[in-house]
Amino acid sequence: MTEPLVILSGVVKRFGDFTAVHHLDLEITAGEFVAIMGPSGCGKTTTLRMIAGLEVPTEGEARISGRLMNAVPVHERDTPMVWQSLALFPFLNARENVEFGLRMRGIGAAERRRRAVQWLERLEIGEFAERNVETLSGGQRQRVALARALVTEPPILLLDEPLSALDAHLIIRMQGVLTRLQRELGITFVYVTHSQSEAFALADRVVIMSRGRIVQVGQPREIYRAPANRFVAEFVGRNNILSGISRGDVIETALGIFPAAGLPAADKPATLVVAADLVRIDRTPTEGAIPCTLISEEFVGATVTLFLEAADGTDLKVQLPERALGDLNLHAGGRFHLSWPADAGHVLAEG
Amino acid sequence: MNRFALAFRLPIIVWQGLFFLGPLFFMIAMSFFLVKNYRMEEAFELKNWARMLTRGYVWDSYWYTLGLAASVTVVATLVAFPAAFALAFRVSEATRRWAIFLLIIPFFTSYLVRTFSWYVILAESGVINVGLGTVGLGPYTLLNTPVGTIVGYLTLLLPLVVILQTIALANIDRNLVQAARNLGYPPGRTLFAVIVPLAKTGLIIAALFCFILSFGDFVAPYYLGGSKPPTLPILIIDTTKSGQQWPRAAVVAVMMMLTLFAIAATAIWLAYRKRSAA
Repeated sequence: MTEPLVILSGVVKRFGDFTAVHHLDLEITAGEFVAIMGPSGCGKTTTLRMIAGLEVPTEGEARISGRLMNAVPVHERDTPMVWQSLALFPFLNARENVEFGLRMRGIGAAERRRRAVQWLERLEIGEFAERNVETLSGGQRQRVALARALVTEPPILLLDEPLSALDAHLIIRMQGVLTRLQRELGITFVYVTHSQSEAFALADRVVIMSRGRIVQVGQPREIYRAPANRFVAEFVGRNNILSGISRGDVIETALGIFPAAGLPAADKPATLVVAADLVRIDRTPTEGAIPCTLISEEFVGATVTLFLEAADGTDLKVQLPERALGDLNLHAGGRFHLSWPADAGHVLAEG
Repeated sequence: MNRFALAFRLPIIVWQGLFFLGPLFFMIAMSFFLVKNYRMEEAFELKNWARMLTRGYVWDSYWYTLGLAASVTVVATLVAFPAAFALAFRVSEATRRWAIFLLIIPFFTSYLVRTFSWYVILAESGVINVGLGTVGLGPYTLLNTPVGTIVGYLTLLLPLVVILQTIALANIDRNLVQAARNLGYPPGRTLFAVIVPLAKTGLIIAALFCFILSFGDFVAPYYLGGSKPPTLPILIIDTTKSGQQWPRAAVVAVMMMLTLFAIAATAIWLAYRKRSAA
């Protein structure tokens, strides 16, 4: 196997007394689409900025293509970034913005212009080449920012929450653009986001960070179905999280005893995670079902999330397709019964 | 406009009308008056204009004053920039606030007093020449030279230019500066490719203030610069003193006003022009 494109080993970043990143180890392979995801303040943007050289690691090593980068200044790296604010130059038009990075590479004016226009056309905004960037729409500006970063044909593209300023419809379209570009160019994309849907939709591999540490790395499906710990289970998707004690092949929780695979030794604490979309809801009691009261519902088009409360006050969630609501006769305060198949539970070996 | 809006605006309209527009029109009118037996007479003659515009000493003064103001604008802009850059990019927000406060303090003292204090420093027997004398140099003539005038102008203008430039630079979006670095621009190139264009409006306004205030200043050239040739403000005063020639002085004043209008209009156009021709 070839050497990874980016290697962060034992990287620590402190700002005064605050440690933004704790001993982080991460390898990114050439051609990979990696998303770094986490809540704000988790260190994801700091990690990205260390790859770009905009921050220097306090400890540890950052390598790109095998070269130690700690002391290499920003402008000597080939790590263009798409900024959350886009950071387009307001005193240049769209084409001049794209040409900007080529000026430092000794490329003649005519060739710069040709390449810039080519990229703008590739991103379907060729007709706006001579327009002032401030007069372009959010989606068009986004494309100018992408063209500006990619025109120098870098081995890696860094993206810092680039879609956060767009409306939902445009986000989906731009995700399509990004996926297509990454596949066509075959270069590495490192994409920082707090949005699970963006990370899961785009990335080959998702890195989840919390409080300056990586808490799980894996493919989107893996992370969704098998969260490594309580933080990931809570952060990702809609999970029901029940603390309990292992009794060998069953787990004893406040809501009852449930069979589960992968439990730690008997009498050890364990946590059962059941994804909300695997929970079954009925109006009539069934064997082993948990009686609950409906608190509220969240209707997002095709899917509906129901928020319920068990007798002891535990919050539970059920996610189901809108068309499956059928004759449930939902109303706040209604009584329902929740159950799940024995293989739906995922066990965390912690309390 | 409703009545209340008018009522709010009325004081400023009346004030400007009485004390700015009125005197301005009177001055323009006066430039066509005549003086006979040391008394001004209302008239509409082009004599004053013809006389002043054909006199070599008037044009000498004009170009000298224009050159001095332009030089001091260039010097102040260049000297202030590194300081403003450091205050905008290299220090904390709190330090910047203190620095701006300290830069305002000179304005607590009368400009005349500050100018006189330079007298003590620049004079033949002043601090600089005495100091240089102890190592066997000098004395140099610093007072009553263009150098003296420029030192005086800078005393007035440097703090102001530093403040205006600092504000212009501190308001730049840091992401744009980092974006240039990220796209391969070393610090020096980033300065000219991104920072100066982004701060352009503020930098030009600072330079414009510098030009206007030095072009019209009387104190520095009078006390530190001597009058060979006199700057236009000194020429105006001399003209009024010699034979009560207020109309001829008005001609010079109108010339100054027209020059400043042209320069201010050009500067504002440059400052707010959206895009470079490049």
